[in-house]
Amino acid sequence: MKHEILVKSGLAAGLAALLIWGGLPLYRHRHFDLSIVEGPGVGDVMRLSAYSPGLAGTMADTSVFVLRGREPGGAALLLGDTHSNEPEGLLATLIFIENAVVDKGTVYIIPVFNNSGSRNTRAGDGYPLYFDVPTDWGAVRFRMGNRDASPLDQWPDPDVYIHYPERQMLSYIDVRNVNRTWPGRPAGPLMERVTYGAMEIMRREKVDVAVDMHGAETMFPVTNCIVAPERSVKIATLAALTVKAAEGFEDHVEPSPAGFRGLSHREIADHSATMPFLLEAPIPFLDQPTGPKTTKLLMDGKDPFLLSLAGKKKLFVPYDASGWSMDRRVGQHCSVVLEILRQFSRKNPGKAIVIRGVPRYADIVRQGVGHYFADPAKADAKKVVRN
Amino acid sequence: MTLVMIAYYVLCAFLLALLAADFVREKRSRNDLVLTLLVMIPLILRLLRVK
Repeated sequence: MKHEILVKSGLAAGLAALLIWGGLPLYRHRHFDLSIVEGPGVGDVMRLSAYSPGLAGTMADTSVFVLRGREPGGAALLLGDTHSNEPEGLLATLIFIENAVVDKGTVYIIPVFNNSGSRNTRAGDGYPLYFDVPTDWGAVRFRMGNRDASPLDQWPDPDVYIHYPERQMLSYIDVRNVNRTWPGRPAGPLMERVTYGAMEIMRREKVDVAVDMHGAETMFPVTNCIVAPERSVKIATLAALTVKAAEGFEDHVEPSPAGFRGLSHREIADHSATMPFLLEAPIPFLDQPTGPKTTKLLMDGKDPFLLSLAGKKKLFVPYDASGWSMDRRVGQHCSVVLEILRQFSRKNPGKAIVIRGVPRYADIVRQGVGHYFADPAKADAKKVVRN
Repeated sequence: MTLVMIAYYVLCAFLLALLAADFVREKRSRNDLVLTLLVMIPLILRLLRVK
């Protein structure tokens, strides 16, 4: 080979350039932190590792916001970003953190429940690394994560994930899916330590209501719904009927399957005294037969292929040219959470959880999600949490 | 970090060292040089904990 050193140096430099060009955006995404402004109701901010020490020092550790009421009452736990490619849960929990004032009871909020997954990507599906939400003071940027934790944080995957403690055999990938690893173990795989931390919050703080917020495909039957086990189904039904009558949107109730293990709505009910609910809002971005997975599709939910399929009655939700926007999805979650807490408080006045300051569906659709986010640059630096 | 994961990183580093040695020793084929570098990409990304 002629000019061997020159050729090898050139190729090595090319490789370095390729690695920097391709790797730097991924590195930055993994280390990009959200700035969350503590609202008027936030009392304490803890780490989940306070309840699950096995998370300390790992990428899976995450912030827990505690909103304490002026009067004693019940306790609620709100979870967002269980699946980090379903960001409506994240945005809804942030609206609670930045706006809610609790008059009675205590509300625990974990906005980025799968912190590792939120720093993972789905490059093969062409996912964007970030999405921007317009606000009154400019756009705020969020990480677009993946459904499962990053293999950099939890690896290797087993051939089959054997659920603890039921020993049901689940898909290998579910070992990194934080909505299959409930109720978790203190020294299990990393995602089991995450769910164990949340279970410990529920057990130690005597949490009455837990709400896990998700998004689901329009072509998936379990969408636009409240999934509830036997214990929660009455409150879920009352909440669904009330939002339909008072706020004009559908959110039907789906029973939690008793034989499918690892899901929050199943295991929380079976391993604690807490009443769990899982909310699914339709997110067209996740459907397979769509156009490119752009941030526009994520935010406005408009897709011509889904529109065509809606005409053939292939979707499980009503779908028209207006799509299914992020504002609608987040608005649904906020209203349904408020309604679940209101119905629970009516039935259990001694454990009431009373919240004000959180917008409902119509407000969020009218004003946009970003209207309810504070500008971290103008907030007291001590009140800005990086997660 | 679990023992298995540590072993995996050691394995990655070992394979990378072998490939680097191959790259240095290769005297004839430019194609082989390029292919060796391509095989090194995922190993480097993993060792640097990028992807």
